[in-house]
Amino acid sequence: MFPTPIQKASPAARIGYQVLLPVALMIWLIPLIGVAVTSLRPASDLAAGNYFGIPSGLAFENYAAVFRDSPIGWYILNSFKVTVPTVIGAVALSCLTGFALAVYGFRANLWVFFAFVAGNFIPFQILMVPVRDMTLRAGMYDTTLGLVLFHIAFQTGFCTLFMRNFIKGLPFALIESARVEGVSEWRIFRHIVLPLMRPAIAALSVLVFTFVWNDYFWATVLVQGQHAMPVTAGLYSLNGQWVAAWHLVSAGSIVAALPPVLMFFLMQRHFIAGLTLGATKG
Amino acid sequence: MAEVSLSKVTKEFGAVSVIKGIDLQIADGEFCVFVGPSGCGKSTLLRMVAGLEEISSGALRIGGRDMTQVGPSDRGVAMVFQSYALYPHMTVAENIGFGLRMTGHDKAEIAKRTSAAAKMLQLDHLLDRKPGQLSGGQRQRVAIGRAIVRNPDVFLFDEPLSNLDAALRVQMRGEISRLHQDLGATMIYVTHDQVEAMTMADKIVVLSAGHIEQVGSPLELYHRPRNLFVAGFIGSPKMNFLTVEARPAPGGAEVTLPGGAVVTLAGQIAVAGQMTLGLRPEHASATGVGDAVLEGTVKLAEHLGSETLFFVALSDGSEIAVKADGLASERPGDRMRVGVPARACHLFDAAGQALINGDLTR
Repeated sequence: MFPTPIQKASPAARIGYQVLLPVALMIWLIPLIGVAVTSLRPASDLAAGNYFGIPSGLAFENYAAVFRDSPIGWYILNSFKVTVPTVIGAVALSCLTGFALAVYGFRANLWVFFAFVAGNFIPFQILMVPVRDMTLRAGMYDTTLGLVLFHIAFQTGFCTLFMRNFIKGLPFALIESARVEGVSEWRIFRHIVLPLMRPAIAALSVLVFTFVWNDYFWATVLVQGQHAMPVTAGLYSLNGQWVAAWHLVSAGSIVAALPPVLMFFLMQRHFIAGLTLGATKG
Repeated sequence: MAEVSLSKVTKEFGAVSVIKGIDLQIADGEFCVFVGPSGCGKSTLLRMVAGLEEISSGALRIGGRDMTQVGPSDRGVAMVFQSYALYPHMTVAENIGFGLRMTGHDKAEIAKRTSAAAKMLQLDHLLDRKPGQLSGGQRQRVAIGRAIVRNPDVFLFDEPLSNLDAALRVQMRGEISRLHQDLGATMIYVTHDQVEAMTMADKIVVLSAGHIEQVGSPLELYHRPRNLFVAGFIGSPKMNFLTVEARPAPGGAEVTLPGGAVVTLAGQIAVAGQMTLGLRPEHASATGVGDAVLEGTVKLAEHLGSETLFFVALSDGSEIAVKADGLASERPGDRMRVGVPARACHLFDAAGQALINGDLTR
């Protein structure tokens, strides 16, 4: 078998593996651990300059303080108001575009597909000013709706690439068979293709949810007021309220990071391999 | 009424011409088999009848109606795919009833027809299973059931048995034949297996490189192949071809076999020259009985129990297969006198067209 399983490798390789793996893991986790530890550090530690040492105590009240002293609940609600419609919009749209690009051999098919793919290569930062002007003129500046629409627009390119390739991988005979049975194209999509796309929809939902939830850039570019501010940008304003209140910002960050993790576990049971088992010979 | 007629049907993929002008009439209730080597266009032709491939030019009529431009869903045909194409997320019952459900039949009607089809195909006890839990033969029966419930005018089968093992293939062959007798519907069946074609068909269409070589009943093709291609394709083991000298003679055509023996075939030829003599292994005699004798050495003997197949090398280096009795005892290296009966010999000209057919039904 290639590569050789580590259990069967030479002793030197095995020892090296057992030493290096925890080290690599530690290096990778340092920022996260740093934030987690800081979120439990009493304010007095930071005032005394103890940024990286052992905390003098565990200050769980930091979490209570975040909820009590800042509108983080409101920010999180805003984040949901932006993220959930974006996930639904982007995934639903890309199911349709992916189906169209994968199933129909129309003339401009490949060019449309390339346009979707190419869109991913444009660094979105250079679009900052035009997008802001556009939102302003469309009257959607400083609203969650504006943020949702632009997120959907930017995510659909990647989602389409993903969905189109997934549908291409389904046995085409299923679609042809349904066509011969007299099933309309929309019903083929609805009753045959969509159920088989469950793993792709779950994976993409988690991915888009995380992207959009963690977005800081567009949140600061397209929103100013507290009423529409998502939690990522909201945490920044926490920092302004208490000068360098790192312990609170860290606690807020941990709270803000929970929904994507929850989302992953919720969707996990849909990541099923072999959904098309038995469709064709084998 | 659902006769299928194709006139001057062609198909091009870009600059490549795959179907080169097919004219064909398939009568109502007929079992028609498209047969040919892989790449001959038989599956493409079937998919054109189904509407899954566009027809580049020509016309297709099903039941007297022009279907050339009609979409697959409106042609009134049902198709069974080589890969079965079962919907993996639906149970057997849902798979069979899906087409009816989508085209607005009421629940009671769907249930009635599904259970009737399931009974016909012995699927009753499997109705709640998913395709992933079925064996190959069961999956194929579900695919056929899905076609039956719709009461189509025309059934299309695209190599439905090629993924099954040999024993199951023989069984399913029988079941499909019985289905044809019970339903009386028009069926078009694609296969590369000439045994399937011979056993099931009312009418065989032999295709090669996008055109029809010959159309006829199984026995017609066996006894009166129009050219070398059909002669070599129909029949198993395949027909022997010997290069011979032939010339017109008073009693028919005088043919000089390898080794110098002369046999006279009943039938007229216009000119003399080098030609090809065709003789089926089952008509050659391993005991030297016939109108002429070929001398040779046994190269290989295949003992099948019921019969023995000898491969005999002739003096000029050509090889001939001879089907003999199951108890024949010759061994590789033995001399053998192969008898050639004149009335079973076919003669083909240099272009491969049949001049004389060794038609044993005459």
